[in-house]
Amino acid sequence: MGEASSWLQFESGNGTGVLRLRGVWRLSNLGAITGALQSATPEACDGIVLDGSGLEALDTAAGFILCRHLEGAGCAGSMMTLRGFDPRHEKLIDLVRQRMTCPPVAARASHRDALSRIGVATLDVLRMLRVHVGFVGVVASELLALLRRPKLFRFKETVSQFETICLDAIPIAALVTFLIGVVFAYLLGLQTQRYGANIFVVDGVGLAVCRELAPLLVAVIVAGRSGAAFTAQIGTMKVQEEIDAISVLGLSPVQVLVIPRLVAIMAALPLLVFVGDLAGLAGGMLVASWQLDISVPSFIERLHGVLPLSAPVVGLVKAPVFAAFIAMIACRMGMLVARDARSVGLNTTSTVVQSIVWVIVLDAVFAIVFQHLGI
Amino acid sequence: MNGGGADGDTVLQVDGIVTRFGATTVHDGVSFDVRRGQVVALIGGSGTGKSVLVREIIGLLRPSAGTVRLLGVDVWSSGVGELSRLRRRFGMLFQDGALFSSLTVAENIAVPFREHTALPADLIPPLVGFKLSLAGLPPETGEKMPAELSGGMRQRVALARALALEPEILFLDEPTSGLDPISARAFDRLVRVLSDALGLTVFIVTHDLDTLLSIVDRVIVLSGGRVIADGTVDEVERSGDPWVRDYFSARAPAGKKGN
Repeated sequence: MGEASSWLQFESGNGTGVLRLRGVWRLSNLGAITGALQSATPEACDGIVLDGSGLEALDTAAGFILCRHLEGAGCAGSMMTLRGFDPRHEKLIDLVRQRMTCPPVAARASHRDALSRIGVATLDVLRMLRVHVGFVGVVASELLALLRRPKLFRFKETVSQFETICLDAIPIAALVTFLIGVVFAYLLGLQTQRYGANIFVVDGVGLAVCRELAPLLVAVIVAGRSGAAFTAQIGTMKVQEEIDAISVLGLSPVQVLVIPRLVAIMAALPLLVFVGDLAGLAGGMLVASWQLDISVPSFIERLHGVLPLSAPVVGLVKAPVFAAFIAMIACRMGMLVARDARSVGLNTTSTVVQSIVWVIVLDAVFAIVFQHLGI
Repeated sequence: MNGGGADGDTVLQVDGIVTRFGATTVHDGVSFDVRRGQVVALIGGSGTGKSVLVREIIGLLRPSAGTVRLLGVDVWSSGVGELSRLRRRFGMLFQDGALFSSLTVAENIAVPFREHTALPADLIPPLVGFKLSLAGLPPETGEKMPAELSGGMRQRVALARALALEPEILFLDEPTSGLDPISARAFDRLVRVLSDALGLTVFIVTHDLDTLLSIVDRVIVLSGGRVIADGTVDEVERSGDPWVRDYFSARAPAGKKGN
């Protein structure tokens, strides 16, 4: 019998077998028990007697494996006789036999091939675009309703959103644009120094920071900071059915949740970009006075002379457009959350990715348009 | 009564539990024992700290004072390893099921098998199917996501998951509170059948009078931070405490109307 004997002993005699069970038949020993059972397969089963007098413990998993094995060997139901079992174990075997008519249930195995993955992803993107366009329409009509009934506007909510989007973001926006100003001035300075053209650093830093770097960087920061927050907040509200509650109370979720955020972020982003302009120029100024011997007064004087007003204005004009895209994407992705925790995470990630991509695409569009307009 | 340590029949000893949140005292010396194979219900008004007590028993929330011995292990003075071994020996069913929402039903039930046993991979699917059937669910439920299930089915899946590792004691936190009466009674019957057949100790936190009257061996009533009654349903009903009287009389008019 060897190893098998520590779990069971099988005696077969002309068609009827006796299976004596021994030891602790528990989940933790199930691997060994399954192995032992293989050696106790009755051939041509006319009936089998299960002797449980040596059984110390039995749980449902072990009971199930035993019954499944016997059934697989053809010793179903009535051909099985129990003998010498503890009443509790007998009850358990009865329960297992009642409930065991069940096919195995495997975890899902959904490995699509590359081609269908590409197809599914493409369709997802197209569907997303369509949904976004529809959402823009809904928000636009709610904004029109707001024009007719200005009392609907939620001033308090808007101000509180403005605080978190704008005021709380000032330190990080200033820090990042300051550092970019430092890096840009330093690298540009290395080049201009070779030609003794130090003063042209001012032209370069002024134009780059005000027109491109500050708007772009600040928009990316706000997309990551506030865009993600919008999606997570609205998504969690969706999960907890708060959005349904808002609708049931006769309010419009767009009026309550989306428009305050949209207005707040559109007001906040130009201000943050302005802060970014100042911080970026300050960073450039610092490098200029340290490395390039351009004093602060001469930096400012030169800036005055060479920086066209259009450069910062272009930056400030772009900002609310970026902001509107971020808000629309973030709010829509929040509304699209399904009722589970994973979907909040996925949609938040997607918001940040979509917002940043759109900010950069829009920036390119602006660059071309302004070029053609000669600004 | 509490001095005996881990004798064979007492699976849970709660002794002198005190819980304070800031200035509020939730429990002020709660003590009781639970013996193996009993179905015990813990009742009490809202805010009497029933769920908090369960969290303290299973080692999720540290009480301000007092000891909990669960299956012979002192929960609050044992190390991480001991606590983790202990956690494989009991099951917990949270109020709304607490299924992992990113996994299918079958994967949810397979989690304890994969994490805590060395079962051969080909044994897991049949066992998952069996656990589903044990919890009274059809096998095709396995492919669904938790979000697609009704409340009653979610509770059953959670029960199947809680039973996966063959626990010796099962904690249920208001398992029937979100269910319609028919599903709730079916769930109760299931718990009783499993308890009888598996010798399982069941500790239920509940508001549901029908649960109490149909399947429970013993009731513990928590009020004002203390155990104010402890015994069979009949004994507790006769105890004469005003809260207990109100609680049981809440049923009477509904019963008359219903018939």
